[in-house]
Amino acid sequence: MWTPFVNPRLPVVLLALSLAACGSSDPENPGRTPDSGTPVSDAGTGDAGGCDFDNMDGGSLDASVPIPNALSGFGLFTGSPADGGLVPVEGNVPYTLSTPLFSDYAVKSRTLYIPPGRVAHYEPVAALDLPVGTLITKTFAFPADLRKPDQDVRVIETRVLVHQPSGWEAWPYVWNPEQTEATLATGGRSRDVTFVDLEGSTHAFKYSVPSKNQCQQCHHLVDDAGAQVMHPIGVKARYLHRTNTYDGVERDQLEHLAALCKLDGLPAPAQLPKAPDAFDTQAASLDTRARTYLDINCAHCHNPKGTAGITSQLFLNFDNASVFSLGECKRPGSAGAGVGGEFDIVPGNHAESILWYRMHTEESGKMMPQIGRTIHHAEGSQLIADWIDSMPAKTCK
Amino acid sequence: MPRLQWTRATCATLLALVGALSLTACSDDEDNKPDPGGPKVDAGTDAGTETDAGTDAGPTVDTGIPWDGGSAGDFSCEGKTQTTLNFAPGQEEALQDQVNTLVECTTITLAPGTYTFDNAITIRQNGITLVGAGKGAKGEGTGGAQSTVLVFTNAAANSNGLDVVGNRFTVSDLAVWNAKKDAIRVESSTDVVMRRVRTEWEKADNEKNGKYGLYPVKSKYVLIEDCEAYNAADAGIYVGQTQYAVVRNSVAKQNVAGIEIENTQYAYVLGNTAQDNTTGLVVFDLPGNPIRGSDIRVKNNIITGNNRNNFASVAASSSTVSQVPAGTGTFMLASRRVELTGNTWGNNNTVDVAVLSGLTIEPNPALWAAGGLNFASADVYVHGNTFQGGSGDSVDNGNLSPQLRPLGAALAALYAYGETKGSLGVEHLVWDGVDPYGHERTQVNPINICFVENTLPSGTGNVIADLDLVAAGALVAKGNFAGGWALTRHYPADKAEFNCAGFTPALTIGDNIQP
Repeated sequence: MWTPFVNPRLPVVLLALSLAACGSSDPENPGRTPDSGTPVSDAGTGDAGGCDFDNMDGGSLDASVPIPNALSGFGLFTGSPADGGLVPVEGNVPYTLSTPLFSDYAVKSRTLYIPPGRVAHYEPVAALDLPVGTLITKTFAFPADLRKPDQDVRVIETRVLVHQPSGWEAWPYVWNPEQTEATLATGGRSRDVTFVDLEGSTHAFKYSVPSKNQCQQCHHLVDDAGAQVMHPIGVKARYLHRTNTYDGVERDQLEHLAALCKLDGLPAPAQLPKAPDAFDTQAASLDTRARTYLDINCAHCHNPKGTAGITSQLFLNFDNASVFSLGECKRPGSAGAGVGGEFDIVPGNHAESILWYRMHTEESGKMMPQIGRTIHHAEGSQLIADWIDSMPAKTCK
Repeated sequence: MPRLQWTRATCATLLALVGALSLTACSDDEDNKPDPGGPKVDAGTDAGTETDAGTDAGPTVDTGIPWDGGSAGDFSCEGKTQTTLNFAPGQEEALQDQVNTLVECTTITLAPGTYTFDNAITIRQNGITLVGAGKGAKGEGTGGAQSTVLVFTNAAANSNGLDVVGNRFTVSDLAVWNAKKDAIRVESSTDVVMRRVRTEWEKADNEKNGKYGLYPVKSKYVLIEDCEAYNAADAGIYVGQTQYAVVRNSVAKQNVAGIEIENTQYAYVLGNTAQDNTTGLVVFDLPGNPIRGSDIRVKNNIITGNNRNNFASVAASSSTVSQVPAGTGTFMLASRRVELTGNTWGNNNTVDVAVLSGLTIEPNPALWAAGGLNFASADVYVHGNTFQGGSGDSVDNGNLSPQLRPLGAALAALYAYGETKGSLGVEHLVWDGVDPYGHERTQVNPINICFVENTLPSGTGNVIADLDLVAAGALVAKGNFAGGWALTRHYPADKAEFNCAGFTPALTIGDNIQP
């Protein structure tokens, strides 16, 4: 039942989600005490009727969030991986995505903290409009054996996206070998990682924690003046619209946020967009699943407002309706030598499609995405191969 | 990047030629069936009527600002706090941490020695200077008492060496060794200086080397001087999608392309040495790019002996330079308002200078729309250069591949036949004869190529060739070498139509730059 490829999430021991609601701020790490004064409107109905949205967002902008040298300084978690679990404090809401970005088979856990008195605004397509002061964390870990995902788990890094008054910032924290603390590592780090995959094969590779400045390579949109502006990626309604377990109760993540008075403008459930689990063959058509995978793995750059998208004119966002800019019979801008073929997608022929080749290869300089991947995602490249092969065969000129 | 595709002469076709004329056997797969549709010479089938006659570069020509080669952007560190950070070998981690939190106008000083990195040095700040103790010498993968070498041999996949976005950026006196991708990439930046920098990969002829050595792209006011670039799998020194650039007194060797000026407006390429590359110093535009390259002055460069086999030329390539035949001194493609003067070419086995239409790599004019339909080459002024000789006598080193390097294959096919008709090899300047597409063949020089006052080896016969490549290539691809050769034209240096004085207005780029 636990299928990390399909639905990666941190093991129970790590996250101890069931304890989340019980967590209070660690007295030794007071940090922020996120919402001691915030009413937890745990309305089981899922409506947000108890929220006083009119009185949110009314205050002046906060001062900048100070960036602590240790992750614990944010006060977002209690405990540590070493003592049985990194537990989000109340108000730091765990969430998962229906299809996550692939990162070398790392299992990830995510949390969203919206400060007291603030609320996120619903967006149907873009990332949720999150208020200043929001903190998003993503923790990357590797079990020694993916078949036993809750044993011998080594947490590598926690990345924190901070919505400052001046905009978003990204800060990487790297966990010590004792797994007791994560320390700010703005320059990124490199860590040797070994794990056994579901087939029993051992992977040993150098895992790269990106530097602060590298985060922007993925986390950006280009503004009208041509400047890259940092943005979150995953916190989009279509990926969040799925159930999670809060306080032992399964509920939709978006509705949960609304019930916490942290999200307004949420439309009725029937109107909510939903990206499927790309690897659940029952969840959606092959085309939709492949487009979902490309959207979450590639479209943060390959969209009309991403630097790489602008340069390459290859748009892999799920709502791109142009088959040409999706890559069909499209010659790449600068894919380089030896990349499988001459066209991004040759319908019916994944082996000659550059899109598939660059996702599949592990060769430096040819592989995609540019950062965040060292080993290849067998299931992901198979999905894209199947998708390309399912297209009516066509000769590109 | 699109592949050259004006001819798909099959291996079988060339083999027939090869057998007849005792050239090196071509080594392509035997299963390349002749194309049932005939040769693909569909270059711009509907571009003819829309194409400008080519004797000018467009309705209006802006020769640019009187740039002196220095900073010309808005950002300045004057009056601001200047910070200096000093690092020594062993402090790589601290360096990386600090690089990610730089305040503007910081100078980073790197003491002599070897620095080993596992990730790119990523700079996103204005006013940053990175200075070492010296660039060392070719082949040195470690720093010495007077050199600073940044080693990326074991860095994360796909990472560059230096990866910079920031105005007023200067890097000097160091070497970048074995970068995974590009050695020094500076993007979307204004006022960029690279001085006394060496970029190098340890292994020669290695397709898996990083692609670019010095790589300013999408930038403005770029100065590259006294630099060295070796063994890049694409271009050693590349200036792309940039406005206002100087590349001078630098050395590029053992790269696929030595120095490459791509989709760039206002470039001054002065006093460089490009030797032992597949192709020495090239100027071109690629389709789909919004910057229409023009106003390129190439002066006093040495572009000799560029005969390295094309080590990027592997199957399933989409890059342009991977298709260039070895022995190409200089080629211009989709380029206009280019002045070549005071340069020396010699011993380039395929050709010293080639002028090509962009339609040879992308025949669909619509895909050139972003740059204003910039596929045509025009206004090329070749004057006061020295051609030493020894060029054009062994196209692509005789190592022909119609699939991988079709230009070389077609040239070889034509000139192998031409030799039987008295040709002495490929002329010093070859024009593909394509632009303006569909022009009347009674027009000898419709794109205004001027070739005057050049020094040529004694006994030189024809100097300029018009290959009429679309038509000739079609015949060659059908095995009709005599017919193909008959369409080509070959002129001596004093051919009147090429005896012209450049173009108007003349280039000004470089006029205000002190040597």
